[in-house]
Amino acid sequence: MSAVATAIEPVEPFDAEPLDAGASGGAVVRRAVVVAGVPVVAVAAALAVGALLIAREGANPLAVYGEVLRGVFVAPRGLRNTAIGATPLVLMGLGLAIAYRARLFTIGAEGQFVLGAVVATAVATAGGVRDLPGWLLVPACIVIAAATGLVWSSISALLANRFNTSIVISSLLLTYVATAAMQWMIRVPIKDPASFVPASRVIGNAALPTVPGLHVHLGFLIAVALVPVAWLLMSRTRFGFRVDVVGHNPIALRANELPAGRMVVAVLALVGLLSGVAGYVQVAGVTDRINAEFSVDLGYTAIIVALLGRLHPLGVLLAGLGLAGLGIGFDVAERTHQLPSTLVGVIQAMIIIFVVVGDAVVVRLRARQERG
Amino acid sequence: MPPPPRQRATPEAVRASGVRKHFGRVVALRDVDVVLRAGEVHALLGENGAGKTTLVRILAGLEQRDAGTLTFAGEQVGDLDARAARRRGVALVQQHFTLVPTLTASENLVLARPRGHFLPTGRVAGQRLAALVERFGLAVRDGVPVAQLSVGEQQRLEILRALDADARVLLLDEPTAVLTGDEAAGLLAVCRRLADEGRAVVIITHRLGEVIDGCDRVTVLRDGEVVLADEPVAAHSVTTLADAMIGRHVPPVASTARVPTLPADAPVRLAVQGLSRGRLRDVSFTVRAGEVLGVAGVDGNGQAELEEVLAGLAAPDAGTATLDGAPLPHGAPRERIARGIAYIPSDRYRTALVRPMSLADNVELGRGRRWRPRRRVRRDAIADRLAAWQVRAAGPGAPVRSLSGGNAQKLVLARELAEEPQLVVTCHPTRGLDPGAAATVAERLLDAAARGAAVVWMGAELEEVLAVSHRVIVLSHGRLTGTFSPPFDRQAIGRAMGGAS
Repeated sequence: MSAVATAIEPVEPFDAEPLDAGASGGAVVRRAVVVAGVPVVAVAAALAVGALLIAREGANPLAVYGEVLRGVFVAPRGLRNTAIGATPLVLMGLGLAIAYRARLFTIGAEGQFVLGAVVATAVATAGGVRDLPGWLLVPACIVIAAATGLVWSSISALLANRFNTSIVISSLLLTYVATAAMQWMIRVPIKDPASFVPASRVIGNAALPTVPGLHVHLGFLIAVALVPVAWLLMSRTRFGFRVDVVGHNPIALRANELPAGRMVVAVLALVGLLSGVAGYVQVAGVTDRINAEFSVDLGYTAIIVALLGRLHPLGVLLAGLGLAGLGIGFDVAERTHQLPSTLVGVIQAMIIIFVVVGDAVVVRLRARQERG
Repeated sequence: MPPPPRQRATPEAVRASGVRKHFGRVVALRDVDVVLRAGEVHALLGENGAGKTTLVRILAGLEQRDAGTLTFAGEQVGDLDARAARRRGVALVQQHFTLVPTLTASENLVLARPRGHFLPTGRVAGQRLAALVERFGLAVRDGVPVAQLSVGEQQRLEILRALDADARVLLLDEPTAVLTGDEAAGLLAVCRRLADEGRAVVIITHRLGEVIDGCDRVTVLRDGEVVLADEPVAAHSVTTLADAMIGRHVPPVASTARVPTLPADAPVRLAVQGLSRGRLRDVSFTVRAGEVLGVAGVDGNGQAELEEVLAGLAAPDAGTATLDGAPLPHGAPRERIARGIAYIPSDRYRTALVRPMSLADNVELGRGRRWRPRRRVRRDAIADRLAAWQVRAAGPGAPVRSLSGGNAQKLVLARELAEEPQLVVTCHPTRGLDPGAAATVAERLLDAAARGAAVVWMGAELEEVLAVSHRVIVLSHGRLTGTFSPPFDRQAIGRAMGGAS
């Protein structure tokens, strides 16, 4: 996953000014092209490359893509699974989008996700606790998972402030620690005695209830509800303002608002909080328990979601649903057309490469334009 | 003691004529001529931003000139890249070291001056370094990471490395800025020796004493133009050089500024006592309500540190600074703003403004409430203020980077001076502004004084500072070397700038 690190660090895909900085009519149009154009073109280009690969496998790309759409919109539970799949991506993507607007390039959501899930599961399944009612356990677990992720993510912030370490590196390495801790936890302290393979106890009463009428777990509603909250946070609060300022000019922030280090802590804490909650939501809404395969790199996919969503909460929601849908649809398409199951991963990776390249091109074009 | 003027005719090593360079809209050099002769140590003087570094970088092929001709040893050259410059015997030691701190001296040498495609063994590299050390008599320890060497040693290594290709033209960008007095004297002796061996040596420095002591000729740049061309140092003193750097021409502000009269019984507002920070040593002064205190001096003599302390960006190492009896806050910008301390920094784009963000956002910086109104409301709310402060822009939603320098500075004033300021800390407030904008900015600052603020005005242009100030203090080598009241004695101020108390 260090490829992701190198992909986001050097170029500045976030150079697009905060969404409220547009000026003249022409500028607004140009911004719209940058904001929506790059991701749309990137997805199209990735699908085009994907089509070549599909053709190479001997299938008809159009038929495969048709099957992908059918898998999402027509097949039973396609939409429902898309919503469920998007939930952790949106939760983590919201936090990452804010961090990247502050130019804090954390890639540690995965570790916070895993650790939030493990700690919440450990508490929820502990003797004496597991019999408590769900209405008590669920909110308690959300708080515990949030706190766990927050603490884990804040380590990167404190290291950065104290020792000037790279947030990219420390957050990545902390993820390995978190994953290893999870693997140990499900083998020893919270192992389900009835299971032959390493797996935690079943989450039991702390499972998320299904939303009546929607057939999705409560976590999806939480994620969707947080979209406008994040939007308001960024556009209508001093905190959001400072996030943009620290991203563009930390020295001006230090001279006029507060030391930049405090924003580093606050922003990374927020990332961790959301990622921790995402981890709990995933166990309590989807997997029911944590096994060795619990983590499927959702914390990294969320980076793509944040970038593809142009670091805007609404974009994150759309990108999260889009990427989740891609996965669900390809699941179906791969089965019907007997394609390798790694295809969707290739296409996802292509998307991020094209977004990053597209942003770099836009930045360069703009620089050339300004130079005259 | 100045060396005796050289009699023998010295061959021209480098001649640059009509060199022009601009970065974006900023003109760094305009029609600069400079001549470097073999056997001479040539001082290049000028304030920060005067264009000295740009000039030597062009000579070393690190920047491309927009216009002008370069002649090396009588031969005119077209495009000059770094390799070509090195082939022609030009070597530049940049102001900031370009060594790899974890490698040893010899490793740094062979890495930066490779011969062939493969790095030599440690032994061969060591021999190469030892040969250079012996030849030029510059001692550098090998075998330990460069980070463990003293600054002087690192610099000697930089110079050795530059001389490796037997440079005929050695350009040193502020080599003494990081050295102690003794080290600097040693370096000047080395430069003299290198020149005596037939090289042309250029030293950029802010320390005028070094020019008098160690250089043969001097060229002074101001705002990208040559104001003193290739004159023998023997004909100059510290005072005349300081004058040339700072400028005697009457800046626009000087003719328009109307300094408000200061009541005799105005109370002291700002009291600075025994202040030390970095280069700044034991500085004391007071500023009364309604008074403008000018701070004069060549850049790099403690102004930056004074600015930081007064603006609350840094705590003093020693001493106190109080406003109306209470210590100035530091590390708490919102408290600074609440105390009515307006800060118009020397680098407005770095410290005061966020260029990609809108005018409205920039006015909100440091003043916004926890909950922000809608964007349209925010923008409408500042429209009047922008008009009142004559900030010309496409609108409150336009990004600050679209503003001209003058309008950007007026935006800073519109924010900092909007409420009644108690103390105004301002550094080079008119730098880079056209005459009209400069006059407006000065007028607004004097206005703040007239309403009872204590104003500290650190300026680059002496005439401007004299024109707006009730009193002027001079900083030299971090110390306060003089306090002057009108009528100002320019001779004495010049001496104080040179370091004479």
